[in-house]
Amino acid sequence: MSRCPDCDVQVEGTWRSCPLCGAATAGEPVPASFPTVPLVYSHRRLLRVLALVSLAVIGASFLAQLLLGHDLGRIGVVRSVWLGLAAMWLLVIAAISKRRNLAKTTVYLVVLTGLICVYWDYLTGWHAWSLTYAIPSVCTASILALVILVRAMRTETGDHVVYTGMTVLAGLTPLVFLLAGWVSTPWPSITCGALAGVVMAVLQIARWRDLRHELAKRLHL
Amino acid sequence: MTRRTWVRLDNASNIFLAARTAADPKVFRFSAELDHEVDPSLLQLALDTTFDRYPLYRAVLRSGVFWYYLQDSDLRPEVQPDLLPTCAPIYQPDHRTLLFRVIHHGRRVSLEVFHALSDGTGALWFLTDLLVAYCRLRFPAEAATASEGPLPVPGEPTVHDDAGEDPVEPEHSLTVDSFTRYFRRRRGRGADAFDHAAAPGYLGAEDEVQDEAEASSEAGAAPPEPSPPRSALMHSARVHRVRGSRTPDNRPRVLELSMPARQVIALAKQSGASLTMYLLALFMESIRRSSGGLGRSRTLSASVPVNLRQFFPSTSARNFFATVRVEHTFGQGEDDLATIAQGLEERFRPQVTEQALSARLHSLIRLEQMALLRIVPRPLKDVLLSWANRINNRGLTVAISNMGRVTLPAPAEAHVRRMFLHVSAARPQFCSMSHAGILTISFSSPLVGTEHVREFARHLSERGVDVTVAATRVTEEELAEGAPTDGEHAGEGPVGEAAAQQDRPARQHPEEDAS
Repeated sequence: MSRCPDCDVQVEGTWRSCPLCGAATAGEPVPASFPTVPLVYSHRRLLRVLALVSLAVIGASFLAQLLLGHDLGRIGVVRSVWLGLAAMWLLVIAAISKRRNLAKTTVYLVVLTGLICVYWDYLTGWHAWSLTYAIPSVCTASILALVILVRAMRTETGDHVVYTGMTVLAGLTPLVFLLAGWVSTPWPSITCGALAGVVMAVLQIARWRDLRHELAKRLHL
Repeated sequence: MTRRTWVRLDNASNIFLAARTAADPKVFRFSAELDHEVDPSLLQLALDTTFDRYPLYRAVLRSGVFWYYLQDSDLRPEVQPDLLPTCAPIYQPDHRTLLFRVIHHGRRVSLEVFHALSDGTGALWFLTDLLVAYCRLRFPAEAATASEGPLPVPGEPTVHDDAGEDPVEPEHSLTVDSFTRYFRRRRGRGADAFDHAAAPGYLGAEDEVQDEAEASSEAGAAPPEPSPPRSALMHSARVHRVRGSRTPDNRPRVLELSMPARQVIALAKQSGASLTMYLLALFMESIRRSSGGLGRSRTLSASVPVNLRQFFPSTSARNFFATVRVEHTFGQGEDDLATIAQGLEERFRPQVTEQALSARLHSLIRLEQMALLRIVPRPLKDVLLSWANRINNRGLTVAISNMGRVTLPAPAEAHVRRMFLHVSAARPQFCSMSHAGILTISFSSPLVGTEHVREFARHLSERGVDVTVAATRVTEEELAEGAPTDGEHAGEGPVGEAAAQQDRPARQHPEEDAS
């Protein structure tokens, strides 16, 4: 084992200079107790900054629309492209950041898509297309997607049941729009509500205990 | 079944999640140096049997709306070669992984644990059982003779404390107590039932204290964290903090000093203080000497974890510790080592009596029960806790943790030499433990500088202690120097042999087997 004459200590490992004082060591080095692990740099911070910048740009894009008024005439197409890009980028970020649990991702996407559509509808002068078509179809699709997904991926009940429950609840909201008379055509809302009702009944019968168990766990005080 | 058992993470553990940083992922590592190259396949077999006896170690960590919780899983651990820096992050949000890993390198077997899962004492139980199981497989002949004896004791390590009793009980209750039953027990805990709360290895409300910005708890891997008294903050302006450049990729700088325990104990005796306070005094003095002048911040403070199992018997492997803060101000009277050590001892002792700890825990648990604090959503709790933790950090210079003298059960004791405890650290810190007559002091720090360790080692070697140093390589230059020659036969610590020969157990017991 090598030795540092200045510190008067034995030095383990292959150090040629003393790890304590930097003086040259004397004697035969011995194998180290630790592996030599190369430096590893994490990109997490960079990704985080990129995500935050993206969110700021997206937020600014949405807010800027408020200044432009409802009817843009011929340049309305520019707004649509702009909003489309911002919305897509936002959904991509959400999907990537929540990718570990597809059921959770689905809920995030439903909520974000719904809000974007309502806002977009409002910006373009409110023709109620968001409540009539967009939200019911997104909700319908999400319920179907989750039903298929959890089977295909054999997701544990505990890992999806809360999110399935949330998509079902979201699927019932078009019925509220319908009753309130906010929609121009009833059938998308009816379809969505009917599907949500069926899945909810199945959940109630087959998975009620699981759902309660999960909620008790996640909402534990 | 899909309805998995779960248990809410106690508050003492919550702080480790809130205080996690890139440089300090709240991981600690126990290492045992064997007398032969580790056989990975036997180690895997040993791990499989040990793992089955510790339901707690099956847990994965998940986040609820108000709390984190541990949930049972079907994951199985695999022994891994040592490819990451020591105490590399284990818990990553949204990744469902086990909260510990078992590593082998050369002659060393290491157990790394995320501190939210268990504390040093709990982890040492697991490692002990692992080592016993491994040595039985590796040396079946010895195991056979051993089992002819009274009973093949499934390893319980003996951590000796000051009082000379054996405060550490086997973890078997966890085997009897399934995850579920264990959880129910915890849930049934009443607001006033301290004994009950204590039994599951539970230090209440460390985080609420944090909310009040009066506790600290962080830095501490195995050496858990400090909940200093109010004065900590009031004095924090004058508390010296070590500065320097951080390691390039946030890995901890770890330096291990190994030495014959009896030589250091003799020095401690001369100073008239316990070994822990002697080492702490030397640590503070080393920091003062390497600081190039303390300037106006002449107070050095330290957080010292105390294993509560000594006072409130518990067989739970969950976190069950409290931390005590002690400080010394230089330039107010005598500053020789003996005086510092005795002064620290005087501040430390009254804080670690059963009454003092019990009173503190009572108020902490009362805080934990406050409805207002309970309904704060978890992400907000995390933010509040990490703020409080950061404020508290300003009042701390160093942290230390002394696991005391460890004795392993029969088949393992003969084949294990030095044992080490490493931690990820937010500030300079050391963890000491002794086994087979060799005291190891492992310094860790987020900073590259090793000056304080140099002063520490030189002080000991000047007084005739045979010190051996081993260091991790953290800078680019060091790694470049180490890369070509290291590798194949790594881990052969000849110190182990040298020291093992000179050792004949020193009959002296360092105190407060920390955390």
